[in-house]
Amino acid sequence: MYMFISPWLVGFLVFALYPILSSLYYSFTDYDIIHPPKFIGLANYMEMFHNELFWKSVTVTLRYTLVSVPIQLLLGLGFALLLHQTIPLRGFFRTAMYFPSMVSGVAMSLLWYWIFNPQIGLFNYMLSWFGIHGPSWLMNPDTALYALIIMSFWTAGSGMILFLAGLQGVPASLIEAANLDGAGRFRIFLNITLPMISPVLLFQLIMGLIDSFQVFTQAFVMTQGGPNYSTWFYVYNLYTSAFKEYRAGYSSALAWVLLIVVMIFTAIIMKLSNRYVHYEGGGRR
Amino acid sequence: MSIVRTANHRPAASAHRRRIDPVKAASFITLLITTFLMLLPLFFMVSTSLKSKKEMLKFPPTFLPESWAWSNYRDIFDTLQFGTLYKNSLIIAVLTVIGTLISSGLVAYGFARFRGRGNQFLFVLVLSTMMLPYPAIMIPQFVLFSHMNWIDTFLPLIVPAFFGSAYNIFLLRQFFTTLPEELFDAGRIDGCGELRMWWTIALPLSAPALATVAIFAFIYSWNDLLTPVLYLSSSEKFTLPVGMASLTSSRFRIPPWHLLMVASVLAMLPIVTLFALAQKQFVEGIVLTGIK
Amino acid sequence: MNNRNRKTTALLLAAGLTAMAALSGCSGGKSAGNVATGNNGAAGEGGSGEPVTITYYTIDSEDRTFVEKLIPDFEKEHPNIQVKVEKAPYEQFDSKLQTLIAGGKSPDVTSHYGYGGFAEYYNKDMLLDLTDLIKEDGFKAEDYHIPDNLMKIYTVKDRTYGIPVNMYVTLMLYNKDMFDAAKLSYPPSDYEDKSWTFDKMVEEAKKMTLVSDDIAKTQYGVDFTWAERDMRPLYFGAEPYSEDTWSNGGVPSETHFDSPEVIAAYQKLFDLIFKDKVSPTSEWSKSVAGQNGDPFVAGKIGMSIGGSWNLAGANDFPFKIGVAAVPWGGNDKVRSTLFVDPLMILKDSKHPKEAFEWIKYLVTTEVQEKSIELSGGNPPVNTEAAEAYYKHFEGIDPQDVKKVYEGAVKYGFESYNHLITNYSQINDMFINELQPVETGHKTLEEVMPVIQKKVTEIIKR
Repeated sequence: MYMFISPWLVGFLVFALYPILSSLYYSFTDYDIIHPPKFIGLANYMEMFHNELFWKSVTVTLRYTLVSVPIQLLLGLGFALLLHQTIPLRGFFRTAMYFPSMVSGVAMSLLWYWIFNPQIGLFNYMLSWFGIHGPSWLMNPDTALYALIIMSFWTAGSGMILFLAGLQGVPASLIEAANLDGAGRFRIFLNITLPMISPVLLFQLIMGLIDSFQVFTQAFVMTQGGPNYSTWFYVYNLYTSAFKEYRAGYSSALAWVLLIVVMIFTAIIMKLSNRYVHYEGGGRR
Repeated sequence: MSIVRTANHRPAASAHRRRIDPVKAASFITLLITTFLMLLPLFFMVSTSLKSKKEMLKFPPTFLPESWAWSNYRDIFDTLQFGTLYKNSLIIAVLTVIGTLISSGLVAYGFARFRGRGNQFLFVLVLSTMMLPYPAIMIPQFVLFSHMNWIDTFLPLIVPAFFGSAYNIFLLRQFFTTLPEELFDAGRIDGCGELRMWWTIALPLSAPALATVAIFAFIYSWNDLLTPVLYLSSSEKFTLPVGMASLTSSRFRIPPWHLLMVASVLAMLPIVTLFALAQKQFVEGIVLTGIK
Repeated sequence: MNNRNRKTTALLLAAGLTAMAALSGCSGGKSAGNVATGNNGAAGEGGSGEPVTITYYTIDSEDRTFVEKLIPDFEKEHPNIQVKVEKAPYEQFDSKLQTLIAGGKSPDVTSHYGYGGFAEYYNKDMLLDLTDLIKEDGFKAEDYHIPDNLMKIYTVKDRTYGIPVNMYVTLMLYNKDMFDAAKLSYPPSDYEDKSWTFDKMVEEAKKMTLVSDDIAKTQYGVDFTWAERDMRPLYFGAEPYSEDTWSNGGVPSETHFDSPEVIAAYQKLFDLIFKDKVSPTSEWSKSVAGQNGDPFVAGKIGMSIGGSWNLAGANDFPFKIGVAAVPWGGNDKVRSTLFVDPLMILKDSKHPKEAFEWIKYLVTTEVQEKSIELSGGNPPVNTEAAEAYYKHFEGIDPQDVKKVYEGAVKYGFESYNHLITNYSQINDMFINELQPVETGHKTLEEVMPVIQKKVTEIIKR
């Protein structure tokens, strides 16, 4: 029924199609933004393969994704399960968990600068309780990426409220029935809760992937890709290519390579998920 | 068929339940510790917002303000056109939320209920629009809106939301798919059309998801810096993040971080309010009755 | 039926959009190319008596947007011109400018306030050649008290592309309280004082340095952040870029970052940190001062060599400060860096004549004087207005500021970041490649050949 999706279809045709096609076209051109684009075929795509910063940005982004996405998911789910119970101060806890996701970017980056300050920062102060001499985090090429990953955990509250919303859809009657059957907490979680919230899990996995492949703001605001390129993320590279190097053509090619890679990852996850994700309504096929 | 919404927890706690559940006790302690960590930003923001300009230069920085500079909360109105910025941001964010809820709800339903081949292709298209990073389409999008004569208006910031946002379409689609098919069968027997079923069955049952979408859409619009910077040029149309960015934009001055924190604290108020309202949706569970 | 209708609408829409896409592609191209006609068009419109609106693009910060307060008087004097100020935060300055140009909404007047400097704009062909405008108008730099050597900075091959408006220099700020505590006499503000050398500075710095486990007690004698990283060898007399760079618009035919002289120069600077131990590591500075702050402000540095913009906050510092000359470091010609900001007209401007009126207005003595107050201490290029600038700073002797400024102009060289093509890339590369040296993990001998290779690549781009 196209009636339901027509708003998106119209919006897509009016607002998205032209920019998308333009960027596709630019990706085959030498375009410095100031002068009209010149068609150069696949040259931009070929360049990537022997561009050092391109490969650097790929490694940085993959490392970030592999570490941060699973942990974010687990944290979000964990908090949601904790807060789905009846527990004192539940409303307060939920708000507190979501709190860091509400703060504007600039305030957060200032805060994190202070937390990660090697000399007077809170993080190294807390590590010193355990006799650990903390590293210099954002100023050290070996740790800067991990500092950004740790930072990302503070926004696990977003994932939490999604899971909470998902958990509301699990009929209490099902759980009660299982309880009467004598099933333990863990079994109930594995056999009832998890399948019921699997669509939300899938959503978060895919969005986590899409988002972490596009990490930009942290690198832009806090580290400028450094120190020593250790946070030179893919989209940061793409942005500097366009607006610092005036190479919008090359930058567009980077964008399309990203799109294709993420698309492949998404397709694989979707295919695999067909086996595990539980959809209630079959819909009309 | 009837749908009853009740609180998840039952008041009839029997006597043996009074004993402290070890799992819950452990959860409570874990939550206490994480909450402490999560609330650090708030503490830091509020504390910094109450320091004087002189105190900001101190090293090592003070933990709590030495003298509480409440006047900062007045000064922000002299430094920025804070009221105007706030009003603009509110208008844009509220309209964005309304647009997103209506359109994304509708579109997501279409994708959730009908999974034909063409639909699946279109859904992939929806997802793919999120996979192209914004800097890549910034310029052509600007060209497009400039042809529509939308530069220096709120339109580029609001109108697209009325045609659905990919993220929220995907999100709601996932929730709609968890609704039991039997409900719709029952609806069909009652002679409901799809639009009616959407309104009377899908939407009410997805209240927690809709609340989530409302919060996400609001925060996204509220904190967005790049789009308003590109599309707005008159100061009286600027939004809160644009105004706040101006505080730290001079490369030649020491930024008034304390005022920036005042602005950040004040900027959080509508989000906290909205969250408190939406929170209810997560507390109340949904009990489906009368389904065979 | 419904379905089919929708399909047709969608098709129509798609067709319309394709047409639009094609159209906008064309106009985008044209707007970049129709420069030559800009002049005539503007003249015609100006004559018709209808007011013309020009756009001035600047950073959205108090020390830049103050120009909005100058507009009413300007418009009174020029009833046929209206000025609109378009602004962006520093971080988005370049991307918004490029987007505006690509979208056919190019501003008329701007300066290089973003990452990129003049040479970048010049080499990307974004700037209007002002030479004919200047001739037609009869504009003379001396009427506006702009020194000739400053006018030359933005003249390439006898064509002028920018009119200087502000001039920052490199100077030394010192913490009087720390000098007093160490019982040292204050450094001189006179550039002709031959006793004031780099080595003397290091000697004095040693007497003020105190490294302690308690970070609150640690203080350093000197923080030597002279110019951008790639320019620092020049202070000691080593030149990393070939001479032709300064006359051909910023494209060096050769660079010498791996030459023994350049490496020796860098070594001297890193010795301040690692051998003499009178300067802080960048990590310490960032820890003390935060992301983009300056540890001098925290009162932890005796002498700070840096841009004169550091003066702007001077009235708030919780200690007494003075200004001094940059000591002699082995280069008899250059001791200070100049940061001269030019007002430029963009090539796509439809009203260059009117835009030029606005530029002239901003460099008149009266407006330059007024701008010092309104901006909170922006240094004018107009030497007549400069007198007011020297008096602007509480507790600092105006004579010292004046001597330091005049010495800086005499022994000054324009900052490389304005003069070299693709500079934002060079700078990014420098920051990242030098980082291991700054932390002591690599030696200059290892890093400089890599930098040399990469600079060459970037310049060729």
